[in-house]
Amino acid sequence: MINFSRFRLDNGLRVIVHEDRSTPLVAMNILYDVGSKDENPSFTGMAHLFEHLMYCGTANIPEYDLPLQLAGGENNAFTNNDITNYYLTLPSGNIETAFWLESDRMIEPDFTKKKLDIQKSVVIEEFKQRFLNQPYGDVMLLLRPQAYTIHPYRWPTIGMDISHLENIDLDHVKDFFSQHYTPGNAIVTLAGNIEPVKAYDLAVKWFGSIPASDRAQRTIPLEPVQTKEKKLTVERNVPSDALYKAWHMGPRISEDYSALDLLTDLLAGGESGRLYNRLVRDKNLFSEINAYITSDVDPGLVILSGKLMRGTDIMKAEKAVNEVINELKESELSDYELEKVKNRFESSVVLSNTSILNKAMNLSMYELLGDPYMVNMEVESYRAVSREMMRETAIKYLSPENCTTLFYLTASKK
Amino acid sequence: MDRIRRIQPPVHPFDARILVPIKSVTLRNGTSLFLIDAGTEDIMRIEFVFKAGMALEYLPLLATSSNMMLTEGSEKYTSEELNSILDFYGIFLSLIAEKDTAGLIVYFLNKHFEKALELIVEILFRPEFPEKELGLLMKKRLNWYRINREKVQNIATDKFFESVFGSLHPYGRMVLETDFEGMMSSLLKDFHTKFYLPEKMTMIVSGRIPERAVDLFEKYFGDLHSEKIYTEDSMNVIKGESRKKEHIKKKGAIQTAVRIGSPTINKRHPDYPGLKFLNVMLGGYFGSRLMKNIREEKGYTYGIHSSVSSFDLSGFKLISTEVGKENSGQAIDEIYKEIHLLLKEPVAQDELEVVRNYMSGEMVRMFDGPFAIAESFKAVWEFGLDLNYFVGMMNTIRTITPDEILRLANTYYRLDDLYEITVG
Repeated sequence: MINFSRFRLDNGLRVIVHEDRSTPLVAMNILYDVGSKDENPSFTGMAHLFEHLMYCGTANIPEYDLPLQLAGGENNAFTNNDITNYYLTLPSGNIETAFWLESDRMIEPDFTKKKLDIQKSVVIEEFKQRFLNQPYGDVMLLLRPQAYTIHPYRWPTIGMDISHLENIDLDHVKDFFSQHYTPGNAIVTLAGNIEPVKAYDLAVKWFGSIPASDRAQRTIPLEPVQTKEKKLTVERNVPSDALYKAWHMGPRISEDYSALDLLTDLLAGGESGRLYNRLVRDKNLFSEINAYITSDVDPGLVILSGKLMRGTDIMKAEKAVNEVINELKESELSDYELEKVKNRFESSVVLSNTSILNKAMNLSMYELLGDPYMVNMEVESYRAVSREMMRETAIKYLSPENCTTLFYLTASKK
Repeated sequence: MDRIRRIQPPVHPFDARILVPIKSVTLRNGTSLFLIDAGTEDIMRIEFVFKAGMALEYLPLLATSSNMMLTEGSEKYTSEELNSILDFYGIFLSLIAEKDTAGLIVYFLNKHFEKALELIVEILFRPEFPEKELGLLMKKRLNWYRINREKVQNIATDKFFESVFGSLHPYGRMVLETDFEGMMSSLLKDFHTKFYLPEKMTMIVSGRIPERAVDLFEKYFGDLHSEKIYTEDSMNVIKGESRKKEHIKKKGAIQTAVRIGSPTINKRHPDYPGLKFLNVMLGGYFGSRLMKNIREEKGYTYGIHSSVSSFDLSGFKLISTEVGKENSGQAIDEIYKEIHLLLKEPVAQDELEVVRNYMSGEMVRMFDGPFAIAESFKAVWEFGLDLNYFVGMMNTIRTITPDEILRLANTYYRLDDLYEITVG
C-alpha cells in the first residue's frame, strides 16, 4: 500500500507526496503532460529535443547539473508519446535544491540558438546511434506509420526523420515551452524521506509564484478503426529475418487493458510464455520472440516481435505465430496459466515498490490518468480478470483485420 | 528577477550509512551466507555466487553455456516444467556468468520462500544439461552473436578487450562463429562438477528476511556436498597485444565506435579509490570533462563515458563513445586533449568540490535499501574486501588533493599505455 497526500496550488500545479522513512533520500518526479503526440507533424521529435533543452540553464541558474551535483543529487528524464518526465534523487536534507532548480526552469529556460544547435546535433547522434546504426533499429520508424493513419502515434518519439529536427528553430522552441510547460500542465511527486507538510511548504515557496496560464485545447485526431490487414516487407542488411506484428488496442484506462497486458505476458512473459515454448523451444523457428503492450494513454498497440532462426521461412514462421494467437481465441486457458501470469504481475508490482523513484513515477502517471490511488488497485484489477475475459479480449483485438505485419528480411546478396 | 532564485538553497552535509549490519553465517557444509535484513516490502533477493566465471574456462563459451543451461532441465523437472513453475510462483530469476564469477540472482515474494529454495537447489546442483536443449541454446546464441557482430559498439568493445588482455585469456578472447559448434553436454557437466560446488558457494540474501531464514537455508543447502573439491588453477595467460591502435572497417556504418583505455590496477590496490575519483572527474558523470566538452559543447555524440573496472586478476579503464563518422577524428583529438590536461593541470577547487559532492551522493544511493546494499557488498566481497573499502573510498572522496590527483594521472594515464580502437 502506497500512502500519499495530494495538493493543488492556486496556479494549477498538482503535488503528491509519499513519505517513506526507510530511505535517506527523496525522489522528485516532474511529469509534464506533453509528449510526441503534441507535436506539429512537420516538426516531429520536438518534445524529446525540448527535454534536452530543459538542461540548458536559466537566467538565474546558468548550469542545471552543477548545483544538483553539489547537493549530492542525480537526475535524468525521458520523453514518450504522451509525457515528458524529469526525475531527481537527493539526500533528503538537500531536497530544497530540487524545488529551486525545477521551479526556476518552469519559469523559463535560457534558450539560445547556440544551445539549440548543439542539442540538435546531440539528438541527431542519438537518432543515428539508436535507430539507424543498429540492426533492426528502424523498426518503429517503419511500423508506426503503417499501423496509424492519422493519430500522432504514427511517429516515434525520436522523430520521423532527421530533417524534422534540423528544421526546428528557436521560435518553435519558445512556442512549445509557453504552450506546454505551465504549472497546470505539470505534476510534481515526492517520494522518500520527506513530510507532506514540508513538501507542501516548499512547493508553495518555489512553485507558488509561477503564474497560471491556459493551455490550448488538445486536438488530437482519433485513429479510425482498422478494417483491413496491412502488410509491409523491407530488406535490410541484417543477419536474420525478423517478424513484427502490431494490433490496435484501447486506451490506457479501459476495461480491457489488464486482460491484454496479461495476454501478452501469457504469450511472452518469462521463459515459459506460449510463444517461447512453441516457437523457440519446440519448433526452433525463432531465436527470440517477444510480445508487449505499448501502455499509451490514447489507444496503443499490442506488439509482437521475433527474430527467426537462420533458414526458417518467414511464411512458415508467421503461420506458426498465427496458430499460437488463434489458440487464445479458440480454446480456454487453464486456471494454472492464468494464475501464473497474475502471480508474475503481483511480484513485479511489489518489486517496483522497493524503489522510491518507481513509486514517484507511478503516482505521477496515475494522477495524470485521473487518480493516484489507482496505484494501489493494480494487483486487484489484474486479479479480477477471468478466463472468459482473456478469451474475449483476444477475439476482440488480436484479429487479422486489426493487425499490421512487417516482414524485415535479410537483404539478398547480389 | 527574484533575487532569491539566484542563490542555491543551503547545501547540508550528508553521510552515507556504510557500515550497515551484515550477518554472516556458515552452514554446516561450509556454504557461506550473508544476510542484509532491511526494506519495506515482503520481498527478498538472493544472489548465489560461485567462482565459475569465464576466467576458468578451457574452451570459449563454456562458462556462459554451463550457466545458461542451469534452468534447462534438472533431475526432477524438464526445462519447460522448471520455467513454468518459476513463473507460476512469480520468481524472477536471472542467470549470470561474468569474467570471474557466475551464479544467479532471484527475487521472490516472501510467501514463496521455501518454494524458491527448493527450485534453486534443483537448478544449481541437479542440472542435467540435456543435449536437445543444449543444441537449441547454441543455435540461439549463434543467432544473437551474428546480430551483435553488426553493432559497431560490440565489435569495438570485444576488440578492446582482446587488445588489452590478449587472445589467450578469457578476459580478452574473442568468440568466433566456429566456437558455437561442438559444445557437448559432457563438457558442461565437467565444468559444473568442478566449479559449482555447494561448499564453495556464497549466498547474499537481502530484503525483509524472516526469522526462520537460516533454518531454511540449512534445510535446503546445509547437507549438500561435492564428491571432490577441485582446486586446480586456470592455465590461461594474460598478455596484451603490442599493437596499440587499430581501426576496423564496418561497411555502411554512419557512426564510429571509439574505445580508448588500458589495463590498470584493481580494487585491491590502495590507489584504486583515487583512480575512481579521477575517472569520475574525467568521464564518469553527466558534468564530467568529456561529457561537457564532447557532448555539451561540441555536440559530437549522444554520450561519452569513462569507467574504471576490476577483474580478479587485473583491471581496466576505458573511455567509450559513438560519434558521427565525420566527427570521429576531432572527437578523438579532444579525448586526448582532456587526458593531457589531466596530466598537466592541477584540478581547480570548485570542480573538486562538485566531484566530491556528486560521489558522496552516489555513495548514499549505493547504500539505499537492502538490494543496493547487497550489490555494493558483493562488489567488494568478491575481491576479499569488506565494507571498510567504502569507508576508505568515502575518505578519499572527502580528502583527495589536486596534487594527489596529478600524481595518479601521471601514474595511470600515461598516453603511451593507451590502446585506441575505432570501428566504423
